[in-house]
Amino acid sequence: MKESPKARVALFYCRNVPGSSEEERQALEKEYGTHVRLFPLACSGRLEPVHLLRALEEFADAAYVITCPEGACRYFEGNRRAVKRVERTKAVIAGIGLESERIGIIIGNKEKTKTLSEHLHELMETASRLGVSPVFNRRGEDRG
Amino acid sequence: MNNTGMLKRVLEKGAFAVTAECGPPKGSDPGVVLKKADMLRGSIDAVNVTDNQTAIVRMSSLAACVLLKEAGLDPVLQMVMRDRNRIALQSDVLGASALGINNILCLSGDHQSFGNQGQALGVFDIDSTQFIQVIRDMRDKGVILGGESLSEPVKAFIGAAANPFADPPEFRIVRLAKKIAAGADFIQTQCIYNLERFERWFEMAKDRGLTEKVAILGGVTPLKSAGMARYMKNRVAGMDIPDKIIRRMDGVPKDRQKEEGLKICVETIERLKELEGVRGVHIMAIEWEDIVGQIVERAGLLPRPACGKD
Amino acid sequence: MITAEQKPIEEIRAMMAPYKRVLALGCASCVAECAAGGEKETAMLASVLRMADKMNGEERMIKEMTLERQCVNEFVLQLDRVIEEYDAILSLACGAGVQAVAEMYDDMPVIPALNTEFIGETKERGLWVENCLGCGDCMLFDFGGICPLARCSKHLLNGPCGGSVDGKCEVNPDIPCAWQLIIDRLAKFDALERLEKIYPPKDWSKKQGGGPRKIVREDQQK
Repeated sequence: MKESPKARVALFYCRNVPGSSEEERQALEKEYGTHVRLFPLACSGRLEPVHLLRALEEFADAAYVITCPEGACRYFEGNRRAVKRVERTKAVIAGIGLESERIGIIIGNKEKTKTLSEHLHELMETASRLGVSPVFNRRGEDRG
Repeated sequence: MNNTGMLKRVLEKGAFAVTAECGPPKGSDPGVVLKKADMLRGSIDAVNVTDNQTAIVRMSSLAACVLLKEAGLDPVLQMVMRDRNRIALQSDVLGASALGINNILCLSGDHQSFGNQGQALGVFDIDSTQFIQVIRDMRDKGVILGGESLSEPVKAFIGAAANPFADPPEFRIVRLAKKIAAGADFIQTQCIYNLERFERWFEMAKDRGLTEKVAILGGVTPLKSAGMARYMKNRVAGMDIPDKIIRRMDGVPKDRQKEEGLKICVETIERLKELEGVRGVHIMAIEWEDIVGQIVERAGLLPRPACGKD
Repeated sequence: MITAEQKPIEEIRAMMAPYKRVLALGCASCVAECAAGGEKETAMLASVLRMADKMNGEERMIKEMTLERQCVNEFVLQLDRVIEEYDAILSLACGAGVQAVAEMYDDMPVIPALNTEFIGETKERGLWVENCLGCGDCMLFDFGGICPLARCSKHLLNGPCGGSVDGKCEVNPDIPCAWQLIIDRLAKFDALERLEKIYPPKDWSKKQGGGPRKIVREDQQK
């Protein structure tokens, strides 16, 4: 039986990620319950950093986006710009005292592709390590 | 003893002129200026007083010029465009003339970001070429910018700077020609270490007939150390210090580098003396004014011609 | 366009301190183009400010709205319907927009979230450079389309100065020497002799001779 994780995460991804079909997504959401919100995108390179911030603001201890491996993105530059924009947003949240690792970008690996489920599991570990976000009170009670 | 106008007279006489530079103090003590006057007296025809050089606040050039004049030297008032607008600049020209300070050298000035007042507004209302023309008209037509008449015109011997080593090389002569057309009577160049390059520039000036219209004085600065040479080469804009000079300085032990620097300086002056059309030398011994006398002597330029006022 | 950059967050928060109901107001024009105050940036700033409030246990309501142009009164008027909800406006417009809003709602504190910088162009994505001073007397034709006032650090009209090296300005080697650019450009047009004549002093009265400037066009008025 899975120990009920205390952390809450938001994960954005594009449909190229293996194991991210609509069925698989619903299964994961059922498994993790309110601790996880999954957001499929047409292209993760087009993710606006504000979506990561809104997730952090509203409920997440960590909000990440998975992009396709370098060169695999159909929208070509989308990934590279996404990396730069997320870097900048990390600096912005660090500026208010939030750990910059609470947001991030996971670049898919061409050789060792991970499924959505595997990515999610790793993200939960990161979020647990970071602990409840200081945006929320100690018990995370004021989350939306 | 009043030596005002010495530079002009020496040049008119056709003799090889010698000028030096004096930086006013970062304080209000006139004694500092007078001490420098003592070091230079007898070795030079005129001495430039810098105007808040490198955008560092110093005693005003005009004040220091008056002190030097009273100490028996012929001062050259340097005026930069960075700190004053056309009203203040023209006003200062009138004031200088009233005080008998007639040599005026017009410069753009180092940008304010270089000095100790980085938050200051850089004025740059007019540029140095325009200012040369303004002074000329104040002298020859007795008018200020805009044409209004002065109650009394100024006497002015107008100088400008030239840098044979800055970019773009092909345009430097055009710039020189413009300053002459604007009314420059004499030119002092940036300090020379690369004689070949200087001579190329000078030839171009000659070809255009400019060396006959204006008195060009070649600038020199004695190097104190190999470190100084390297600093100037790498950190100062518009300088050309060839590697062979660096090697020469490196090639002698530290305690003999000053002497080597002086040797190079004197050799440069000797070469300038040989170049037909070069009318003098401008020695910029920054914070080393006491060495000027020795340089002038070693370059065979003593005694200075007696050009008393007739 | 007018460029601007966001002020440091601590400075913004310090100015916001007394206010509990704040409208973060973006502008979809120039500041959106330079990614400082458009709808996206406004959303991001508001989110970050709300998080900072929560982290510091501060109670504050922050909402967002973006106007087409904050410097045009007709757009600013759109705030009429919401203004009562707030006790301060955090404007992400340039100085012109901040002041337009402040004047329209003159008993409402308006806090500038940006530092307005210069008139310039988007040279490439993510790069904006200054190229116009708004001198009121455009001389661009004489200089081959390169402004010696805006782009020369010393406003030289008879440049270059002695500090131009390798086509770079002595102030900062990242800055191209405007005079090198002008010379190169006029050379392309075979018009270098234009630079042989002495260009007269600038008439600065067109910029500040009459105090803050105004343009009135009766044919454009209602």
